[in-house]
Amino acid sequence: MNTSHRGGVSLQGAVKRHGALTVLHGVDLDIHPGEFFVLLGPSGSGKTTTLRVLAGLESISAGRVLLDGEDVTHKEPGERDVAMVFQSYALYPHMTVAQNIGFPLKMVGQDPEAVARAVADAAAKVSIGHLLDRRPGQLSGGQQQRVALARAIVREPRLFLLDEPLSNLDARLRLETRVELKKLQRSLGVTAIYVTHDQEEAMTLADRIAVFMDGRIVQVGTPQGIFGRPSHASVAGFIGTPPMNLLEAAWSGHAVEVGSAGRVDVGAAAPAQRAVTLGVRPGDLKITDSGLAAEVELVEELGDSRIAILHVGEQRVKLKTDNPIDLREGQVVHLGFAAAAAHLFDRSSGERLN
Amino acid sequence: MNGHSKHSLTRGIALAAGAGLLLSVWAFPVLWALLTSFKSERDVLAYPPVIFFKPTLAHYREVLFGASSILPNLWSSVVVATSATLLTMLLALPAGYVIARLRYPGKRASGFYVLATQMLPPVGLVIPYYLALQKVGALDTYVGMVLIYLTFSLPFAIWLMVSYFEDIPYEMEEAALLDRAGRLRALWHVILPQARGGIAVTTVFVFLNAWNEFLFAVVLGGNKVRPVTVAMFNFISVEQTQWAKLAAGAMVAMAPVILIGLLAQRHIVKGLTVGAVKGGGRR
Repeated sequence: MNTSHRGGVSLQGAVKRHGALTVLHGVDLDIHPGEFFVLLGPSGSGKTTTLRVLAGLESISAGRVLLDGEDVTHKEPGERDVAMVFQSYALYPHMTVAQNIGFPLKMVGQDPEAVARAVADAAAKVSIGHLLDRRPGQLSGGQQQRVALARAIVREPRLFLLDEPLSNLDARLRLETRVELKKLQRSLGVTAIYVTHDQEEAMTLADRIAVFMDGRIVQVGTPQGIFGRPSHASVAGFIGTPPMNLLEAAWSGHAVEVGSAGRVDVGAAAPAQRAVTLGVRPGDLKITDSGLAAEVELVEELGDSRIAILHVGEQRVKLKTDNPIDLREGQVVHLGFAAAAAHLFDRSSGERLN
Repeated sequence: MNGHSKHSLTRGIALAAGAGLLLSVWAFPVLWALLTSFKSERDVLAYPPVIFFKPTLAHYREVLFGASSILPNLWSSVVVATSATLLTMLLALPAGYVIARLRYPGKRASGFYVLATQMLPPVGLVIPYYLALQKVGALDTYVGMVLIYLTFSLPFAIWLMVSYFEDIPYEMEEAALLDRAGRLRALWHVILPQARGGIAVTTVFVFLNAWNEFLFAVVLGGNKVRPVTVAMFNFISVEQTQWAKLAAGAMVAMAPVILIGLLAQRHIVKGLTVGAVKGGGRR
């Protein structure tokens, strides 16, 4: 089943209001057929609402929803040919696994034999063929999750919507399922739109990511693009483990000055002196002979790496390194970084400057 | 471990004793009536009350097949209570679902209105109902009686069903909608099966209320429509109260209700404990 020519999504100026509260402020999205697309953002940023708008479970106050070029803004969920996996899985507790998976086919009047074949096929794809006679209540969380997946793929939808589908699994199972999910999506060639607040999940799964903040998309790009060149300070502070250090600084000439801690070269020349937010990834920070003066607060040992927490003036930064470091609490060191590793953002708007 | 099991045994006995005590408070009047129904008129009035006596089936013969047979009244009760229950559930299920789930203008007001109709003492309504039924010529008719029963059973059933529907996660029907079921089939295939405990409880309560109703029946009924509660009342007269017949009548009237209770017991217990465990929708 190759469906990669189907499943193009276009969201145009989507606005969603709940009374006086605006949840989506004109969201634009273009998702290509066959893409694994992740909507990433903190809770309340509008990512789940956007997914529900695509599903037809929420109406929009303004804007349009297009699926494969067809305007479906006012179509019912059942008329959109999309399937969804819910965070809670939403399995029907009174039906067996087979009945759950077969339900969407039964609803369009497929004959029982065809349903049984499709159910067996979908169940095999997610390795739950042996559980068909059980009820959801008799399954583990991981198995329930697979049933929800099978129910979604059985009808070969043009669009596969997933709302934090891994968040109810334990950490180990989550990692395993993540890999399988990606393989499944690849083999089906179906467009998948995946909501998560976990940036690591987003980075590993996505072909492209849209980062949501406060009901707006602040950046769309590949995982590498978003990690390497965040377009906004809020994105920079959200992506990465630990996320990027953000320091208040003054930019003039080819360098920034961080309070009285020191002055560091950032390569790019300032058009004029201005207040900026300096961003440096923890992994890009090095302990050097000169640079920003910093006081060690704590070192966290992670086995294969370690994270040092330091103070630059009043501001806290994290340094991550694979090499052994010998730092004591209270020790004063100097921090440096390559000019290319500096990210500069406007202090008030948060927009990227370099 | 040993001390623990000893402790739990003592606890079990104490619980059983407590439950037995409470149960006997509830069961005493019923047992008293049961005994009375088998006593001769002389034994009934004996003082001190006799526990051992020669049982007689005379009163049962009388209330079932005698001159004052309550069989026609039982039939009356069956017709009224069954029709009222069926109609109530037919209307309460969609109404409860709509109040629980859909957003529509005036939802709060309509929800409150349904509840407000329950705040009046029924006795205050007897006269207006009497006049209204008289006006349309529906006094002493099944249609009139069932209609009046709906006025109190419907709000009660709607409110009970609202709470059961609200216990079912929203995502259930959202999933069904995405699975192309549409509203009505989502209700039928996904929501109603999950609410069946609540439906059973509500049905039984509605039926019991209608079966045991007396006030409206005695005023708005008559010769054609005379439920069993009214017929039993006729055993109480100014000159004499026929206690044994009354008791036998009560036992007969109780039988169908007990039967329904036993049949629906499994569902009732399930339905009563819904909401006790969070996420009950995903058992």
